[in-house]
Amino acid sequence: MASLRRANLHRASIQRACAQHTVVVTLVLATGLASAALAETRKEYRFTVGANANVSVETQYGAISVKPGSANQVVVTATIKSDSGNVEVDQHQSGNRIEIASHLLQGADQQTGQVDYELLIPPDATLNLRSSTGPLSAERLHGDLTMEGSDAVMNVRNVENGHVHVRTMRGTVTLADVSNGHIEISSISGDIHLKSVTGPMVQASSGSGRIFYDGDFGSGGQYKFTTHRGDIEALVPVNVSADFRAHSVLGRVQHDFPLKPMHSRFPAEAGRSFFGTTGEAASEVVLRSFSGRIRLKQH
Amino acid sequence: MTCSDIQRALPEVLDGGANGVAAEFETHLKSCPDCSDLVSDLKLITSEARQLAATEEPAPRVWLRIAAELRAEGLISDATIPEPAFARTSAAPRPVLLPASPRRRWSAWWLAPVAAGLVAAGSYVVRHKPAPQVAQQQAPPTPTTAPAPVTTPVTGTPAASSASVQAPAPQRLGRKSTPAKDLLASTAEPQVEPAPSAEDQQFLSVVSTRAPSMRATYENQLNAVNADIRETQAYVKRNPGDADARQHLMDAYQQKALLYQIALDRIQ
Repeated sequence: MASLRRANLHRASIQRACAQHTVVVTLVLATGLASAALAETRKEYRFTVGANANVSVETQYGAISVKPGSANQVVVTATIKSDSGNVEVDQHQSGNRIEIASHLLQGADQQTGQVDYELLIPPDATLNLRSSTGPLSAERLHGDLTMEGSDAVMNVRNVENGHVHVRTMRGTVTLADVSNGHIEISSISGDIHLKSVTGPMVQASSGSGRIFYDGDFGSGGQYKFTTHRGDIEALVPVNVSADFRAHSVLGRVQHDFPLKPMHSRFPAEAGRSFFGTTGEAASEVVLRSFSGRIRLKQH
Repeated sequence: MTCSDIQRALPEVLDGGANGVAAEFETHLKSCPDCSDLVSDLKLITSEARQLAATEEPAPRVWLRIAAELRAEGLISDATIPEPAFARTSAAPRPVLLPASPRRRWSAWWLAPVAAGLVAAGSYVVRHKPAPQVAQQQAPPTPTTAPAPVTTPVTGTPAASSASVQAPAPQRLGRKSTPAKDLLASTAEPQVEPAPSAEDQQFLSVVSTRAPSMRATYENQLNAVNADIRETQAYVKRNPGDADARQHLMDAYQQKALLYQIALDRIQ
């Protein structure tokens, strides 16, 4: 009986100790989270602009996200991720032109120099974004758009009637539902994904990255995809209407649907190139690689 | 005075004007390393630019050296060396530089012309081909059952003697191996990783100074791009009539220029 009582007391003391530990751990975690949240500083800037505003944001470290807002106002929310005081936000307006930039002070690094930006801009504004680390994203806009970064992942969605120019070293670039603009993407080793992207001129090039296109190549555009080592794959519907020219100097080239032969000054080389037309040949599609594989597939 | 004020006043100060704000200007420079670096870079560029302005054309030896290097690589022959720029009339076309980025970049400007020069050099290599090579381009294709690099005999170029050399290529950093690449490597002359060019060394030096944590990344990317250039050059040397390969060579040079631009933009 006494041993049973001792066992119960022992169990109760263990339970108390566990509860105390849980409380301590919870307090430590909560304190950590709270201090992290407190370390962040949010600043908001508002600018009144007219039609066709020009907005530039440049940050060495941090994300930039842009969405449409009101027609005559630019709202910038900058979140400085550290309280180290190693970074400032410079902002400048000159008429319709707005420049926002992270200004790194001595000693700033990726952790202490990070500033994330969220922007609401007039949908027709011209937009220039630059961040080394990214990610960069823009959606539901119809002005011209330029994105630059070295490692930044870049996403562009639901953009129409504007030119889209993207330059990156190795960040993955994704464009979805982009139409009716000149599109130019240059990457050294990053992958490029294009889904439902059409326009009068669509160019994508990557050295070792892969280019993947899923769409119908529009009606009347010129599409040029080039890689050095990366593969190129295009997934198209049965009713696509285009002239196709594909050539890989050293890689394999495949397509899985009938193409009407077309004239080319370079004779097709089995397995290395093909030329052909489908539908009314509305668009011109050129797929080129030095040693990557090229595949044209039906949905 | 803020950093923005400094940037606005810079042109005037560099021209020797703006006496009224000179004291404030100097005070700010003492407390702001970014602006201080910017001003010292600009002063250096301004002084270098004054010296450059004295010559409208590069010295003849520059053109001769380029021609010698292209000749050594077998990309041009004596009969087809274009007339050097210094011998042309003033109406002759000159190398065209690609348009620079619309954004103004203040520091490390010296590398921008280098990047443009890479593209210009690529363009030069790609476009200035000997006449017999153009004729080959219109000739019937090689048999399709075997890849061109293996079966196409190359004659009339300095590369012919080395085209059949069988030697494994050294493993390149961060590059995936593909059958095509193995094929190319097995038919190419022995590839030795060359020492980085002076421009590349200078580029990496700037990256090391301004963004040391990124040096390895940029060096890997640079090595990969340089390897692409060498790979394409070797192919073009063996298949001088392949217009598409020449275009890929141009593309590879543009990739290198893009890498320079991205890196320099990042380290501002």
